[in-house]
Amino acid sequence: MRESAGRTVGRAWDWALWIGMLAIVTTLLFLLRDSLGSSLGAAHIVLAYLVLVLGASARAGRTVGMTLSVLAFGCFNFFFVRPYHTLAVAAPLDWLVLGAFLATSLIAAQLLARAQREADDARQRAAEVDRLALVGAEALNAGRADEALRAIVDVIRSSLDVARCVVHVRDATGQMTLGAESGAVAVAHDAETAPARARAPGLPDAAHLLAWVAEHGRPAAVRPDGALRFADPGAPVEQAASLFDVSGAKALMLPLRVHDRVVGVLELRHDDLMTLDTPRRRLLGALSHYAALGVERMQLASEAEHADALREADRLKDALLMSVSHDLRTPLTTIKALAQSIGRDGDERAITIEEEADRLNHFVADLLDLSRLAGGALQLKPEVNAAEDLLGVALERIQGAAGTRTINVSLDTQEPLLLGRFDFSHTLRVLVNLMENALKYSPANTAIDVSARRGGEHGAYLEITVADRGAGVADVDRDRIFEPFYRPEGTPPDTGSAGLGLSIARRLSEAQGGTVYYEPREGGGSRFVMRLPGVSMHELNAP
Amino acid sequence: MTVPTVLVIDDEPQIRRVVRNALEDDQLHVLEAATGRDGLDQAAARRPQLVVLDLGLPDVAGIDVCRDIRTWSSVPVIVLSARHSDLEKAALLDAGADDYITKPFSPLEFRARVRAQLRRASMIGTTPDDAVIRAGPLRIDLIKRLVTRDDVAVHLTPTEWELLRVLASHGGRTLTHSFLFAQVWARSHGDPQQHLRVHVASLRRKLEQDAVRPKILLTEPGVGYRFEVDG
Repeated sequence: MRESAGRTVGRAWDWALWIGMLAIVTTLLFLLRDSLGSSLGAAHIVLAYLVLVLGASARAGRTVGMTLSVLAFGCFNFFFVRPYHTLAVAAPLDWLVLGAFLATSLIAAQLLARAQREADDARQRAAEVDRLALVGAEALNAGRADEALRAIVDVIRSSLDVARCVVHVRDATGQMTLGAESGAVAVAHDAETAPARARAPGLPDAAHLLAWVAEHGRPAAVRPDGALRFADPGAPVEQAASLFDVSGAKALMLPLRVHDRVVGVLELRHDDLMTLDTPRRRLLGALSHYAALGVERMQLASEAEHADALREADRLKDALLMSVSHDLRTPLTTIKALAQSIGRDGDERAITIEEEADRLNHFVADLLDLSRLAGGALQLKPEVNAAEDLLGVALERIQGAAGTRTINVSLDTQEPLLLGRFDFSHTLRVLVNLMENALKYSPANTAIDVSARRGGEHGAYLEITVADRGAGVADVDRDRIFEPFYRPEGTPPDTGSAGLGLSIARRLSEAQGGTVYYEPREGGGSRFVMRLPGVSMHELNAP
Repeated sequence: MTVPTVLVIDDEPQIRRVVRNALEDDQLHVLEAATGRDGLDQAAARRPQLVVLDLGLPDVAGIDVCRDIRTWSSVPVIVLSARHSDLEKAALLDAGADDYITKPFSPLEFRARVRAQLRRASMIGTTPDDAVIRAGPLRIDLIKRLVTRDDVAVHLTPTEWELLRVLASHGGRTLTHSFLFAQVWARSHGDPQQHLRVHVASLRRKLEQDAVRPKILLTEPGVGYRFEVDG
């Protein structure tokens, strides 16, 4: 890549410079040797060379420094140790000087180079940290999941200096989709250019490489000649990336994992050879974790969207039911009004028309409630309410249907208030329903008895009972009457009921922590008991 | 006496016809508007004595029409609704509607409601003796803070008195739970709804002949309470 080419040029220039410097220093010392004679001591020469070696080690690295120290050793021996111009040494003490010089300069070169390398490393790591911080910041700052992934892809491409970087997302079914991309390559895809070649069984061709990498979780590289190389499954990215450095690659596919699950594939492409040095490999390892997290975030976001869509569908269904019931109520209003005006003219059939319109309206309301109860969309507002308030409104509602029939209410108004925690409107519907049923299924000359009491431990529940003197319910039907659309055998077809009332009554009671059940009445007839969570005055006054 | 004018705002011609027939049976003068905007224009221009407003208008939400009218007029508004939600009913009343009736409604019931609203509106400002309210056997003296039932003094707690005073001075109108709470409990603590219901129940025991069949303090399920002036 461009930067490494620059580095090679720099190397050659370093060598030339420092060898030149050695030549200059040696020449100067040589001139001084002749002019100064014996006053130029070995110490002066050793110091001059040592400075040169240290300079070379610091500036050009260990190899140049050490080479220079050996060369300087040679020059020292050749030019300045008697006898001159040979490598022979006359005085044994001179050997000591020469040996000390060589050792000192080699150690110094070594130490300096190491310090230099560590400083370089630190700089590199600081740059990596900066990059990672950048990715983190970009990913966090991006508002939407796909924007975050896009930012990560951009950073990966610029950090690794490759032409193109793509993240492919793998969904739960193994289908691959494009997650985010950055950059483009000038040359065409391998799949189109690579010659068909024999491949080992079980290994993919270039066209299916992406899916294969995702499925097997093995990194893969495409070499310039179109040949494919694979790393071991589960190998760390840094290690996997190193595999491709041997001969270089122009495309690299890395599986992205979150919790050992392959969530996508990171694809890197370059126009010519990609070589990843150790710091870049390390960086790639870290960046690919970010990419994996970005993919996961995108998948979570799409799951959330799906849930939103389901909620929206539910809302639509409710809106549809609402509008159907609204649209039915308008014609029903007209029908009722016309029936009433015809009825005033003395036509008795008009009364039937009005009753049937009411029945239809009732049925629509029941269907709407049943659908909402089944879908969990019915909103209940359980509050502390008094039983006599509920009974009062129910009695008023039932007035029309009851006509002249007697409804006895047994509720001791001298006692403290009977309180319960329930949704007033919906519980009213249940109670009215039970009372209507009682009127419907018992002889016209009998009374309906309604009573309320607190029961259970510490008055845990509020119980409202509606009792009649009808035929009762057969044993086999005691639970089935609470099923939607169930009508016991022998029910007259004109009772004006679709069999929804009791099932709605039970579901409404259960939805607020109560129930409705049937029991035979002593002396004949039915008792329908509604139980609701009870509340005591004592509880109410407690802070 | 001039014939009262009623403005009917409803987009459905069938409903308008039903409402018109019912109102004309009571010798009332009827104006019709098919949209919310037209309705607001006519309400401002013709100054009707009563407005019948359908909630399902295509152009403006019914509750907004209601609020708009309330900014400049106290004309009684009866709302026609196909929806049963308690919350919506309460919101409507809080927005200034005086009464609501749910479709499909009976013309007889509708006419009764209209008459009640017209009577109530005509009474405002004409009865000088506002200090004493009568309902059936009850006599409530707002100045002396005295309540008698069949001429027998009834003892009320301060909260019960305050609640009765608010209800009685808005006789004939359904007052929502939140309105009542704001009026009676605004400065105290605790769960409003619970206390409200308990106090209404104990008021009934003191004021009604049969607390289970109340004639004066009526419940509007899930919405609020109404003090029935007619007793």
